[in-house]
Amino acid sequence: MERKYTILAILLIVLALGLVILPRTNEQKETNPKVLLSAIAEKSRYLTVDQVTHRIIENDPTLLLIDLRTADQYKTFALPGSLNITTDSLLSQANLELFSQPGKDKVLYANADLTSEKAWLLCTRFSLNRIYIMKGGMNEWYNTIVKEKSVTGTPSSADLDLLSFRKAARQFFIGSGETVNASVNPTINEKIQVIRKEPKAASGGGC
Amino acid sequence: MIGSIISSGIISPAWDNLFAVILGIGFGFALESSGFSSSRKIIGTFFGYDFVVVKVFFTAAIFASIGLLYFSYLGLVDFSTLYIQPTFLASAIVGGIIMGVGFAMGGFCPGTSLCAAAVGRIDGLVFFGGMFIGVFMFSEAFPLFENMFYSGSQGAKMISTVLGISPEMFTFLLVLAAVGMFMGASWLEKKVKKVNY
Repeated sequence: MERKYTILAILLIVLALGLVILPRTNEQKETNPKVLLSAIAEKSRYLTVDQVTHRIIENDPTLLLIDLRTADQYKTFALPGSLNITTDSLLSQANLELFSQPGKDKVLYANADLTSEKAWLLCTRFSLNRIYIMKGGMNEWYNTIVKEKSVTGTPSSADLDLLSFRKAARQFFIGSGETVNASVNPTINEKIQVIRKEPKAASGGGC
Repeated sequence: MIGSIISSGIISPAWDNLFAVILGIGFGFALESSGFSSSRKIIGTFFGYDFVVVKVFFTAAIFASIGLLYFSYLGLVDFSTLYIQPTFLASAIVGGIIMGVGFAMGGFCPGTSLCAAAVGRIDGLVFFGGMFIGVFMFSEAFPLFENMFYSGSQGAKMISTVLGISPEMFTFLLVLAAVGMFMGASWLEKKVKKVNY
Protein backbone atom coordinates (compact mmCIF):
# COMPACT_ATOMS: atom_id res chain seq x y z
CA MET A 1 0.00 0.00 0.00
CA GLU A 2 1.07 3.56 -0.61
CA ARG A 3 2.37 5.56 2.36
CA LYS A 4 -0.67 7.88 2.52
CA TYR A 5 -3.06 4.91 2.61
CA THR A 6 -0.95 3.25 5.30
CA ILE A 7 -1.25 6.39 7.46
CA LEU A 8 -5.03 6.51 6.89
CA ALA A 9 -5.36 2.82 7.79
CA ILE A 10 -3.41 3.37 11.04
CA LEU A 11 -5.61 6.39 11.82
CA LEU A 12 -8.79 4.32 11.37
CA ILE A 13 -7.42 1.54 13.60
CA VAL A 14 -6.49 4.05 16.31
CA LEU A 15 -9.95 5.67 16.14
CA ALA A 16 -11.66 2.28 16.36
CA LEU A 17 -9.41 1.23 19.25
CA GLY A 18 -10.35 4.48 20.99
CA LEU A 19 -13.99 3.39 20.91
CA VAL A 20 -13.11 0.11 22.63
CA ILE A 21 -11.03 1.64 25.43
CA LEU A 22 -13.14 4.75 26.14
CA PRO A 23 -14.82 4.51 29.57
CA ARG A 24 -18.51 3.67 29.42
CA THR A 25 -20.85 6.35 30.63
CA ASN A 26 -24.20 5.83 32.30
CA GLU A 27 -26.40 6.23 29.26
CA GLN A 28 -29.72 6.10 31.05
CA LYS A 29 -30.71 9.75 31.46
CA GLU A 30 -33.89 11.30 32.72
CA THR A 31 -35.78 13.28 30.12
CA ASN A 32 -35.68 17.04 30.46
CA PRO A 33 -38.97 18.23 32.08
CA LYS A 34 -39.67 20.63 29.20
CA VAL A 35 -39.23 17.87 26.66
CA LEU A 36 -41.42 15.58 28.77
CA LEU A 37 -44.21 18.18 28.97
CA SER A 38 -43.99 18.69 25.24
CA ALA A 39 -44.20 14.92 24.67
CA ILE A 40 -47.26 14.69 26.94
CA ALA A 41 -49.03 17.39 24.93
CA GLU A 42 -48.14 15.60 21.69
CA LYS A 43 -50.75 13.01 20.65
CA SER A 44 -48.54 11.04 18.26
CA ARG A 45 -48.03 8.37 20.95
CA TYR A 46 -51.49 6.98 20.25
CA LEU A 47 -52.12 4.21 17.76
CA THR A 48 -55.66 3.20 16.93
CA VAL A 49 -56.82 -0.37 17.40
CA ASP A 50 -57.17 -0.61 13.61
CA GLN A 51 -53.52 0.39 13.10
CA VAL A 52 -52.31 -2.13 15.69
CA THR A 53 -54.54 -4.87 14.31
CA HIS A 54 -53.28 -4.24 10.80
CA ARG A 55 -49.68 -4.58 11.97
CA ILE A 56 -50.45 -7.80 13.88
CA ILE A 57 -52.05 -9.34 10.78
CA GLU A 58 -49.14 -8.19 8.61
CA ASN A 59 -46.78 -9.85 11.12
CA ASP A 60 -44.87 -6.58 11.34
CA PRO A 61 -41.40 -7.44 12.71
CA THR A 62 -40.99 -3.94 14.16
CA LEU A 63 -44.04 -4.32 16.41
CA LEU A 64 -43.57 -5.26 20.07
CA LEU A 65 -46.83 -5.46 22.01
CA ILE A 66 -46.66 -5.02 25.78
CA ASP A 67 -49.70 -6.18 27.77
CA LEU A 68 -49.79 -4.27 31.06
CA ARG A 69 -52.71 -6.16 32.62
CA THR A 70 -52.48 -8.81 35.33
CA ALA A 71 -51.14 -12.26 34.49
CA ASP A 72 -54.61 -13.80 34.91
CA GLN A 73 -56.21 -11.36 32.49
CA TYR A 74 -53.35 -11.91 30.06
CA LYS A 75 -53.81 -15.69 30.14
CA THR A 76 -57.53 -15.32 29.56
CA PHE A 77 -57.37 -12.97 26.59
CA ALA A 78 -54.44 -11.20 24.97
CA LEU A 79 -53.28 -10.00 21.59
CA PRO A 80 -51.10 -12.50 19.68
CA GLY A 81 -47.38 -12.06 20.20
CA SER A 82 -47.79 -9.73 23.17
CA LEU A 83 -45.60 -9.88 26.26
CA ASN A 84 -47.05 -9.52 29.73
CA ILE A 85 -45.26 -6.89 31.82
CA THR A 86 -47.04 -5.35 34.78
CA THR A 87 -46.36 -1.73 35.72
CA ASP A 88 -44.63 -2.63 39.01
CA SER A 89 -41.92 -4.52 37.12
CA LEU A 90 -41.84 -2.11 34.18
CA LEU A 91 -38.45 -0.59 34.94
CA SER A 92 -36.56 -3.72 35.95
CA GLN A 93 -33.20 -4.15 34.24
CA ALA A 94 -34.47 -6.94 31.95
CA ASN A 95 -37.50 -4.91 30.91
CA LEU A 96 -35.45 -1.75 30.34
CA GLU A 97 -33.29 -3.72 27.94
CA LEU A 98 -36.45 -4.98 26.26
CA PHE A 99 -37.75 -1.43 25.89
CA SER A 100 -34.36 -0.30 24.54
CA GLN A 101 -34.54 -2.77 21.66
CA PRO A 102 -33.48 -1.15 18.42
CA GLY A 103 -35.88 -0.89 15.52
CA LYS A 104 -38.96 -1.87 17.54
CA ASP A 105 -42.14 0.08 18.16
CA LYS A 106 -43.17 -0.77 21.70
CA VAL A 107 -46.98 -0.60 21.89
CA LEU A 108 -48.48 -0.56 25.38
CA TYR A 109 -52.00 -1.64 26.14
CA ALA A 110 -54.15 -2.46 29.15
CA ASN A 111 -57.92 -2.69 29.59
CA ALA A 112 -58.32 1.07 29.13
CA ASP A 113 -55.87 3.98 28.79
CA LEU A 114 -54.98 4.91 32.38
CA THR A 115 -52.42 2.16 33.04
CA SER A 116 -50.89 2.58 29.59
CA GLU A 117 -50.55 6.34 30.13
CA LYS A 118 -48.75 5.77 33.44
CA ALA A 119 -46.40 3.23 31.86
CA TRP A 120 -45.78 5.50 28.85
CA LEU A 121 -44.90 8.37 31.18
CA LEU A 122 -42.44 6.23 33.15
CA CYS A 123 -40.78 4.98 29.96
CA THR A 124 -40.60 8.45 28.45
CA ARG A 125 -39.05 9.86 31.65
CA PHE A 126 -36.41 7.15 31.29
CA SER A 127 -35.59 8.48 27.80
CA LEU A 128 -36.95 5.34 26.14
CA ASN A 129 -38.06 5.97 22.58
CA ARG A 130 -40.62 4.56 20.18
CA ILE A 131 -43.15 3.90 22.97
CA TYR A 132 -46.78 4.01 21.85
CA ILE A 133 -50.19 3.42 23.37
CA MET A 134 -53.01 1.48 21.78
CA LYS A 135 -55.78 4.03 22.28
CA GLY A 136 -58.68 2.62 24.28
CA GLY A 137 -56.85 -0.59 25.21
CA MET A 138 -58.40 -4.03 25.08
CA ASN A 139 -61.90 -2.68 25.70
CA GLU A 140 -61.71 -0.60 22.54
CA TRP A 141 -60.06 -3.44 20.63
CA TYR A 142 -62.88 -5.83 21.60
CA ASN A 143 -65.60 -3.29 20.78
CA THR A 144 -64.04 -2.39 17.43
CA ILE A 145 -62.59 -5.62 16.10
CA VAL A 146 -64.45 -8.48 17.78
CA LYS A 147 -67.92 -6.98 18.15
CA GLU A 148 -69.64 -6.36 14.87
CA LYS A 149 -70.92 -2.81 14.55
CA SER A 150 -73.98 -1.99 12.52
CA VAL A 151 -73.80 0.79 9.98
CA THR A 152 -76.22 3.65 10.11
CA GLY A 153 -76.93 5.92 7.19
CA THR A 154 -74.99 5.78 3.95
CA PRO A 155 -71.36 4.89 4.63
CA SER A 156 -68.55 6.38 2.56
CA SER A 157 -66.18 4.15 0.61
CA ALA A 158 -63.53 4.72 3.30
CA ASP A 159 -66.01 3.55 5.95
CA LEU A 160 -66.81 0.48 3.86
CA ASP A 161 -63.12 -0.31 3.48
CA LEU A 162 -62.66 0.00 7.23
CA LEU A 163 -65.66 -2.24 7.94
CA SER A 164 -64.37 -4.74 5.43
CA PHE A 165 -60.95 -4.73 7.11
CA ARG A 166 -62.51 -5.20 10.53
CA LYS A 167 -64.59 -8.11 9.25
CA ALA A 168 -61.48 -9.75 7.81
CA ALA A 169 -59.61 -9.05 11.07
CA ARG A 170 -62.45 -10.62 13.04
CA GLN A 171 -62.14 -13.77 10.96
CA PHE A 172 -58.36 -13.68 11.40
CA PHE A 173 -58.58 -13.54 15.18
CA ILE A 174 -61.61 -15.66 16.02
CA GLY A 175 -62.00 -17.72 12.86
CA SER A 176 -65.71 -17.03 12.33
CA GLY A 177 -68.39 -14.47 12.94
CA GLU A 178 -68.87 -15.69 16.52
CA THR A 179 -68.34 -12.87 18.97
CA VAL A 180 -69.48 -14.51 22.20
CA ASN A 181 -66.80 -16.06 24.42
CA ALA A 182 -64.28 -15.59 21.66
CA SER A 183 -60.73 -16.02 22.84
CA VAL A 184 -57.42 -15.24 21.32
CA ASN A 185 -54.51 -17.38 22.38
CA PRO A 186 -51.69 -15.27 23.72
CA THR A 187 -48.09 -16.38 23.55
CA ILE A 188 -47.75 -17.50 27.11
CA ASN A 189 -44.37 -17.85 28.80
CA GLU A 190 -42.63 -17.14 25.58
CA LYS A 191 -38.90 -16.63 26.10
CA ILE A 192 -38.16 -12.96 25.68
CA GLN A 193 -35.50 -12.38 23.06
CA VAL A 194 -33.71 -9.37 24.44
CA ILE A 195 -31.49 -7.47 22.09
CA ARG A 196 -29.14 -5.74 24.44
CA LYS A 197 -28.43 -2.06 24.59
CA GLU A 198 -28.95 0.58 21.99
CA PRO A 199 -28.71 -0.01 18.26
CA LYS A 200 -25.46 0.80 16.58
CA ALA A 201 -26.42 1.09 12.99
CA ALA A 202 -23.97 0.54 10.22
CA SER A 203 -24.40 2.77 7.25
CA GLY A 204 -27.83 2.40 5.69
CA GLY A 205 -28.81 2.43 2.04
CA GLY A 206 -26.44 1.09 -0.57
CA CYS A 207 -24.93 1.85 -3.87
CA MET B 1 -29.03 10.02 10.50
CA ILE B 2 -30.98 13.09 9.43
CA GLY B 3 -33.93 11.84 11.42
CA SER B 4 -31.83 11.61 14.54
CA ILE B 5 -30.51 15.14 14.22
CA ILE B 6 -33.99 16.45 13.47
CA SER B 7 -35.64 14.55 16.34
CA SER B 8 -32.97 15.94 18.66
CA GLY B 9 -34.29 19.40 17.82
CA ILE B 10 -30.99 20.52 16.25
CA ILE B 11 -32.54 20.98 12.79
CA SER B 12 -36.16 21.55 11.84
CA PRO B 13 -37.90 18.67 9.97
CA ALA B 14 -38.77 21.20 7.25
CA TRP B 15 -35.17 20.89 6.03
CA ASP B 16 -35.19 17.13 5.45
CA ASN B 17 -35.94 17.26 1.70
CA LEU B 18 -33.19 19.81 1.17
CA PHE B 19 -30.75 17.59 3.08
CA ALA B 20 -31.81 14.60 0.98
CA VAL B 21 -31.00 16.53 -2.21
CA ILE B 22 -27.64 17.78 -0.87
CA LEU B 23 -26.64 14.31 0.33
CA GLY B 24 -27.76 12.80 -2.99
CA ILE B 25 -25.63 15.25 -4.95
CA GLY B 26 -22.70 14.53 -2.64
CA PHE B 27 -23.14 10.77 -3.05
CA GLY B 28 -23.33 11.09 -6.84
CA PHE B 29 -20.25 13.32 -6.89
CA ALA B 30 -18.30 10.83 -4.76
CA LEU B 31 -19.31 7.97 -7.09
CA GLU B 32 -18.35 9.85 -10.24
CA SER B 33 -15.06 11.17 -8.85
CA SER B 34 -14.16 7.60 -7.76
CA GLY B 35 -14.65 6.44 -11.35
CA PHE B 36 -17.81 4.46 -10.63
CA SER B 37 -19.49 5.61 -13.82
CA SER B 38 -17.22 3.18 -15.70
CA SER B 39 -18.56 -0.35 -15.85
CA ARG B 40 -15.04 -1.63 -16.63
CA LYS B 41 -13.73 -0.22 -13.39
CA ILE B 42 -16.57 -1.80 -11.42
CA ILE B 43 -16.28 -5.16 -13.17
CA GLY B 44 -12.57 -5.11 -12.25
CA THR B 45 -13.59 -6.36 -8.80
CA PHE B 46 -14.75 -9.65 -10.32
CA PHE B 47 -11.63 -10.07 -12.49
CA GLY B 48 -9.19 -8.90 -9.82
CA TYR B 49 -7.58 -5.99 -11.66
CA ASP B 50 -9.34 -3.15 -9.79
CA PHE B 51 -10.74 -3.26 -6.25
CA VAL B 52 -11.71 0.38 -5.97
CA VAL B 53 -15.41 -0.47 -5.49
CA VAL B 54 -14.75 -2.67 -2.48
CA LYS B 55 -12.26 -0.18 -1.07
CA VAL B 56 -14.59 2.82 -1.41
CA PHE B 57 -17.69 1.14 0.02
CA PHE B 58 -15.81 -0.63 2.82
CA THR B 59 -14.11 2.67 3.75
CA ALA B 60 -17.49 4.44 3.75
CA ALA B 61 -19.01 1.73 5.99
CA ILE B 62 -16.25 1.74 8.60
CA PHE B 63 -15.94 5.52 8.54
CA ALA B 64 -19.71 5.87 9.12
CA SER B 65 -19.64 3.22 11.89
CA ILE B 66 -16.81 4.95 13.74
CA GLY B 67 -18.46 8.35 13.28
CA LEU B 68 -21.84 7.16 14.55
CA LEU B 69 -20.31 5.51 17.61
CA TYR B 70 -18.33 8.64 18.50
CA PHE B 71 -21.41 10.82 17.94
CA SER B 72 -23.37 8.48 20.19
CA TYR B 73 -20.65 8.62 22.85
CA LEU B 74 -20.73 12.41 22.77
CA GLY B 75 -24.53 12.39 22.96
CA LEU B 76 -25.04 13.95 19.53
CA VAL B 77 -26.93 11.02 18.00
CA ASP B 78 -29.67 8.96 19.61
CA PHE B 79 -29.40 5.49 18.11
CA SER B 80 -32.82 4.43 19.26
CA THR B 81 -34.33 6.89 16.78
CA LEU B 82 -32.45 5.37 13.84
CA TYR B 83 -34.43 3.13 11.55
CA ILE B 84 -32.85 -0.29 11.18
CA GLN B 85 -34.02 -2.36 8.26
CA PRO B 86 -35.58 -5.61 9.54
CA THR B 87 -33.81 -8.79 8.44
CA PHE B 88 -35.72 -11.06 6.07
CA LEU B 89 -33.24 -13.89 5.63
CA ALA B 90 -34.62 -15.72 2.59
CA SER B 91 -35.31 -12.62 0.51
CA ALA B 92 -31.93 -11.12 1.51
CA ILE B 93 -30.10 -14.23 0.23
CA VAL B 94 -32.11 -14.49 -2.99
CA GLY B 95 -31.94 -10.72 -3.58
CA GLY B 96 -28.21 -10.72 -2.90
CA ILE B 97 -27.59 -13.46 -5.48
CA ILE B 98 -29.73 -11.67 -8.10
CA MET B 99 -27.99 -8.37 -7.42
CA GLY B 100 -24.55 -9.99 -7.58
CA VAL B 101 -25.30 -11.68 -10.90
CA GLY B 102 -26.73 -8.41 -12.28
CA PHE B 103 -23.70 -6.52 -11.00
CA ALA B 104 -21.27 -8.93 -12.69
CA MET B 105 -23.25 -9.02 -15.95
CA GLY B 106 -24.01 -5.32 -16.29
CA GLY B 107 -21.05 -3.77 -14.53
CA PHE B 108 -23.28 -1.47 -12.48
CA CYS B 109 -25.38 -1.40 -9.37
CA PRO B 110 -28.48 0.86 -9.24
CA GLY B 111 -26.63 3.94 -7.92
CA THR B 112 -23.64 3.70 -10.24
CA SER B 113 -25.91 3.09 -13.28
CA LEU B 114 -27.66 6.41 -12.52
CA CYS B 115 -24.25 8.03 -12.22
CA ALA B 116 -23.17 6.60 -15.60
CA ALA B 117 -26.50 7.62 -17.20
CA ALA B 118 -26.04 11.15 -15.84
CA VAL B 119 -22.69 11.53 -17.61
CA GLY B 120 -24.22 10.17 -20.84
CA ARG B 121 -22.84 6.63 -20.97
CA ILE B 122 -25.01 4.41 -23.18
CA ASP B 123 -24.37 1.24 -21.14
CA GLY B 124 -25.47 3.13 -18.04
CA LEU B 125 -28.68 4.27 -19.75
CA VAL B 126 -29.42 0.71 -20.93
CA PHE B 127 -28.79 -0.70 -17.44
CA PHE B 128 -30.98 2.03 -15.93
CA GLY B 129 -33.82 1.21 -18.36
CA GLY B 130 -33.45 -2.52 -17.69
CA MET B 131 -33.61 -1.88 -13.98
CA PHE B 132 -36.99 -0.19 -14.33
CA ILE B 133 -38.32 -3.02 -16.49
CA GLY B 134 -37.16 -5.42 -13.76
CA VAL B 135 -38.82 -3.33 -11.05
CA PHE B 136 -42.06 -3.25 -13.05
CA MET B 137 -42.02 -7.01 -13.65
CA PHE B 138 -41.27 -7.70 -9.99
CA SER B 139 -44.10 -5.40 -8.89
CA GLU B 140 -46.58 -7.07 -11.23
CA ALA B 141 -45.51 -10.56 -10.19
CA PHE B 142 -45.19 -9.70 -6.50
CA PRO B 143 -48.05 -11.96 -5.31
CA LEU B 144 -46.02 -14.93 -6.64
CA PHE B 145 -43.01 -13.95 -4.53
CA GLU B 146 -44.82 -12.55 -1.52
CA ASN B 147 -44.38 -15.57 0.78
CA MET B 148 -40.68 -15.83 0.02
CA PHE B 149 -40.29 -12.04 0.30
CA TYR B 150 -41.53 -11.97 3.89
CA SER B 151 -40.10 -15.30 5.04
CA GLY B 152 -37.24 -15.62 7.52
CA SER B 153 -38.25 -12.47 9.38
CA GLN B 154 -35.79 -11.82 12.21
CA GLY B 155 -36.67 -8.24 13.15
CA ALA B 156 -34.07 -5.50 13.43
CA LYS B 157 -31.04 -7.67 14.11
CA MET B 158 -27.49 -6.47 14.70
CA ILE B 159 -24.44 -8.66 14.05
CA SER B 160 -22.79 -7.47 17.27
CA THR B 161 -25.83 -8.69 19.24
CA VAL B 162 -25.78 -12.08 17.52
CA LEU B 163 -22.05 -12.43 18.27
CA GLY B 164 -22.55 -11.23 21.86
CA ILE B 165 -19.95 -8.48 21.65
CA SER B 166 -20.23 -4.73 22.06
CA PRO B 167 -20.81 -2.62 18.93
CA GLU B 168 -17.49 -0.86 19.64
CA MET B 169 -15.59 -4.15 19.62
CA PHE B 170 -17.43 -5.24 16.46
CA THR B 171 -16.46 -1.99 14.73
CA PHE B 172 -12.83 -2.43 15.80
CA LEU B 173 -12.78 -5.97 14.36
CA LEU B 174 -14.47 -4.68 11.21
CA VAL B 175 -11.78 -2.02 10.79
CA LEU B 176 -9.05 -4.67 11.19
CA ALA B 177 -10.82 -6.84 8.59
CA ALA B 178 -11.13 -3.87 6.23
CA VAL B 179 -7.44 -2.95 6.53
CA GLY B 180 -6.50 -6.60 5.95
CA MET B 181 -8.75 -6.66 2.89
CA PHE B 182 -7.21 -3.41 1.54
CA MET B 183 -3.71 -4.90 1.85
CA GLY B 184 -4.81 -8.18 0.25
CA ALA B 185 -6.53 -6.33 -2.61
CA SER B 186 -3.44 -4.19 -3.28
CA TRP B 187 -1.28 -7.34 -3.36
CA LEU B 188 -3.71 -9.05 -5.74
CA GLU B 189 -3.88 -6.03 -8.06
CA LYS B 190 -0.11 -6.22 -8.50
CA LYS B 191 -0.30 -9.93 -9.36
CA VAL B 192 -3.14 -9.63 -11.91
CA LYS B 193 -2.40 -8.33 -15.40
CA LYS B 194 -3.27 -4.65 -15.71
CA VAL B 195 -6.24 -3.68 -17.87
CA ASN B 196 -6.25 -0.29 -19.53
CA TYR B 197 -9.62 1.42 -19.93
